Amino acid sequence: MTVVRTSLRNFVAHKGRMVLSAIAVMLSVAFVSGTLVFTDTMNTTFDKLFASTSSDVTVTAERNEDAQQTGKPASIPADTAQRLEKLDGVASAQSDVYDERITLVDDRNENLSPTTGAPTIAGDWGPEEKKSMKLISGKAPRGPTEVVVDADTADKHGLAAGDAVKVISFTGTTEARISGIAKFTATNPGAALVFFDRPTAQKKLLGSTDQVTAVMLTAAEGTSDAQLKKAVAAELGGGYQVRTAKEAADSAADEVGEFLDFMRYALLGFAGISVLVGIFLIVNTFSMLVAQRTRELGLMRAIGAGRGQVNRSVLIEALLLGVVGSVLGIAAGVGIAVGLMQLMGTVGMNLDTSDLTIKASTPLVGLLLGIVVTVLAAYLPARRAGKVSPMAALRDAGTPADGRTGTVRTVFGLLLTAAGAAGLWLATRAETAGDGSGLLALGIVFSLIGFVVIGPLLAGLVVRAISAVVLRFFGPVGRMAERNALRNPRRTGATAAALMIGLALVAALSVVGSSMVASANDQLDKTVGADFIIASDVGQPLTPAVAKAVHAAPHLAHVTDYKNVNAELTAPDGKKEKTRLAAADPTYAQDLRTETDAGELSAAYGRDAMSVPAAYAKKHGIEVGDRVAVAFTGGKTARLTVAAITTDGTSLDQGAMYLAIATVERYLPADEMPANVLMFAQAEEGKAEQAYAALKERMKDYPQYQIRDQADYKQTLQDQIGQLLNMVYGLLALAIIVAVLGVVNTLALSVVERTREIGLLRAIGLSRRQLRRMIRLESVVIALFGAGLGLGLGMAWGAASQQLLALEGLGVLDIPWPTIITVFLGSALVGLVAALVPAFRAGRMNVLGAIATE
Amino acid sequence: MAASARKVVKAYGAGETRVMALDEVDVDIERGRFTAIMGPSGSGKSTLMHCLAGLDTVTSGEIRLGDTEITGLKDKKLTQLRRDRVGFIFQAFNLLPTLNALENITLPMDIAGRKPDQPWLDRVVDTVGLRDRLRHRPTELSGGQQQRVAVARALAARPEIIFGDEPTGNLDSRAGAEVLGFLRRSVDELGQTIVMVTHDPVAAAYADRVLYLADGRIVDDMRDPTAERVLERMLSLSGDGTAAHTAPGGLR
Repeated sequence: MTVVRTSLRNFVAHKGRMVLSAIAVMLSVAFVSGTLVFTDTMNTTFDKLFASTSSDVTVTAERNEDAQQTGKPASIPADTAQRLEKLDGVASAQSDVYDERITLVDDRNENLSPTTGAPTIAGDWGPEEKKSMKLISGKAPRGPTEVVVDADTADKHGLAAGDAVKVISFTGTTEARISGIAKFTATNPGAALVFFDRPTAQKKLLGSTDQVTAVMLTAAEGTSDAQLKKAVAAELGGGYQVRTAKEAADSAADEVGEFLDFMRYALLGFAGISVLVGIFLIVNTFSMLVAQRTRELGLMRAIGAGRGQVNRSVLIEALLLGVVGSVLGIAAGVGIAVGLMQLMGTVGMNLDTSDLTIKASTPLVGLLLGIVVTVLAAYLPARRAGKVSPMAALRDAGTPADGRTGTVRTVFGLLLTAAGAAGLWLATRAETAGDGSGLLALGIVFSLIGFVVIGPLLAGLVVRAISAVVLRFFGPVGRMAERNALRNPRRTGATAAALMIGLALVAALSVVGSSMVASANDQLDKTVGADFIIASDVGQPLTPAVAKAVHAAPHLAHVTDYKNVNAELTAPDGKKEKTRLAAADPTYAQDLRTETDAGELSAAYGRDAMSVPAAYAKKHGIEVGDRVAVAFTGGKTARLTVAAITTDGTSLDQGAMYLAIATVERYLPADEMPANVLMFAQAEEGKAEQAYAALKERMKDYPQYQIRDQADYKQTLQDQIGQLLNMVYGLLALAIIVAVLGVVNTLALSVVERTREIGLLRAIGLSRRQLRRMIRLESVVIALFGAGLGLGLGMAWGAASQQLLALEGLGVLDIPWPTIITVFLGSALVGLVAALVPAFRAGRMNVLGAIATE
Repeated sequence: MAASARKVVKAYGAGETRVMALDEVDVDIERGRFTAIMGPSGSGKSTLMHCLAGLDTVTSGEIRLGDTEITGLKDKKLTQLRRDRVGFIFQAFNLLPTLNALENITLPMDIAGRKPDQPWLDRVVDTVGLRDRLRHRPTELSGGQQQRVAVARALAARPEIIFGDEPTGNLDSRAGAEVLGFLRRSVDELGQTIVMVTHDPVAAAYADRVLYLADGRIVDDMRDPTAERVLERMLSLSGDGTAAHTAPGGLR
């Protein structure tokens, strides 16, 4: 018990010194538990939504994942409901009409659909809809020109009854007026909804009043959903999909779940990085506390405490820190989750805080994580505490300098670094991306650990170099700052390593990101011949009306349709593979001049010809002239001649198998022909501007599609990658914040540790300003050291990745120097900020008190 | 006068619990002389030195360093004053562990941005006999050598006055005698003014003058002391003989 009591008292006595460590634990735990709570809440929200919108049994047209994406909504005969109503066990059968690929625009052609990726759904204002929505103003839609829109969309765009809107479906555009506004009774996770009356919905969405999208069945008393499903399936026969409420909800949840899982693991990954960074901070804190308490620990040993007891006393302190940090972190995590929910609200996804889901496992995970990490991090310092000899109590105080880096450590670190470097180098030499990625991962891990281990050694070299450049302008104050930073290389190394990790990732990703942009631009310049690209940013197929409008535009030399066609390939070696072919007009060979390893690309657009990528050709031993059996889904099987083998060294359309649309038409019935996913156009010589203007004019009515010339396209690409990088940087900011806390922590504890020294300096005439400058400079040096290592390491990772990905078309290495230099200089600023409080406190120290300190 | 105090009061606390560390002390420190301040623990000897040196503030009264009145000076001015006009030797922890001996010696001048006077620096270094130790870090020096570096630092900047707070308190008698010898010589040969707080009669015997403090007042002022006389006086002042226990080393 005594051990516990001593630990408790120490913990309380040093709580000021524990604050930053506790914050680090708290932040990491908060991020983890926040992620868990947030994603669990999202799951709850969607589960509720799906549960509220699904009937006991739902009948729809058979949905096959391999089916061709014709763009036309699937439907079933309108009399299905009447047929099923008569079945035993059916209490009621309701038809429903809806389509999810709708664009809603106002009368000025401004897009009203969500831009978050959530769907816009049009349907009929029928009994099924009324189950989960209610009219809050106006009246139900009646006739071909009236619609009801959902309240969230109406609020967001200031729509009211009487306003004109256009509903663009795959089959055409419907102009209508809003007759009323309806509100979801459950949480609307961001979809826009628009409702017609039944006949209008059938006609506009499905093309015929004889069709409906689904029939919703309610089971009679005493009939289970499964029984009903069986009966319905027997009655209807093939061509229908019959699902129970549970199956429907599960499949919907699966789709969303995949995305949510991805989000969860990505966020947890970033949380993991900050946990890693936090470990350095905790190790430093306990090392410094143990060093400062050497005499005290020696006394404990002198009066008979065993090594284990001293060791345990430190670990118990760590345990307390872990508990305090984790508990605070879990609470803060809930706050983060609520904050994220609010944030989702601003992008159109309204989550209800009443759905806030805190699973029992969340606090458990948080506590476990916080405690395990803290105790593990404190283990080495605790062991060192146990090794303090009783003689330490008798020696004069003064913190024992950590001394030189051990030889073992140096050798070990150098070996790891060398292994890491070798891994990176070999990765750049790899034959295939698959082989190389393993080497790359190993290289990254080893070089990172290697750098952490030789950090103290590097501290000596790098800090001296930085000092030679920066600190010599600051005279003796600079010299003292340098010596202080070098005084305990292990501590400086660990503090800087924390910063290094975050910045290495930033540097690596920015190198890869800007190489991606540069490579794509390079490819665009070299291979893209098309002047204009027409596509939907949210992946909607191009409707026939749009295709027609583009084809009819003036000043165009040619227009290329581009479709994805699902098929199963049988290579000459007999291996089957389901794939998606790129069917295009022959002019596509001019629009995208993909290089070939063998054959002529234009030949691939000939009758019953195709191209395969080099990887596929290699895998199956295919040469030009070989034949591949292509079974078009929903059509016949063709035997196509391989006319070209395309290179893998391209980032655009990589791995695509090309063939002519004309070839597809021979084997696929017209109603199975997929819709265009992309269109390309080439302007007539010297008419680029007019053509662009004409295309834009024609596309005005379809704001869901974007038309871009090459410059726009490059900009879009750059923006997309830039956005992605910004998001990643934002998430890495957490790790960097923890690292900065580490710098603050080290400085604050150093200031405490050097109280006497500071007193002496002040006594012999160092002014407050000089003292503060000394601490600031030390901080800047540590920050620059960490940044230098991190950026260097990160650039090496990034360059190695690029070399490896060159196999996949990432041919151009582009190091974003402005970013790198900004980050490096920014880290100096971070150093200054980190030193603010420690420097202020050092300046305020009472000189006499400081000298008299033990 | 190198320094003087007039009606200096240093009080802690208020009302019932008010403690007078210095109770209307008047003292003059003569230029070019070696003055020792003695007294039992809690007599206020260290407080007096700290106040004279501008390290501590006084409750009332006036302290002058040379012609400058330092009571009421702001921290910035006081810092400058300590830097440019005062030297310090503390009992322990006099040196910055990160700087070598020479850097420690020139530190006050470096901080002030002044160039050391090289011939003078050489003379000081030779006087304290550290020529071959200049590149060593404090941890590589013995306790006596460390204190000699501290003495050299105090001397090197040619301050108007050097204050020593038990400068030999942590040394064995031989090293202590060495350091005290240097202090004595710097007064005799270099004309330095030194004020030293000590409770060791042997150390006090190196001084030209010994001031005795008890309960915050100056109770005696002895010229040309010897160790025997100092010890005698201490015994008589303490009255109950406890001084005999508090004076380590005693007579040898």
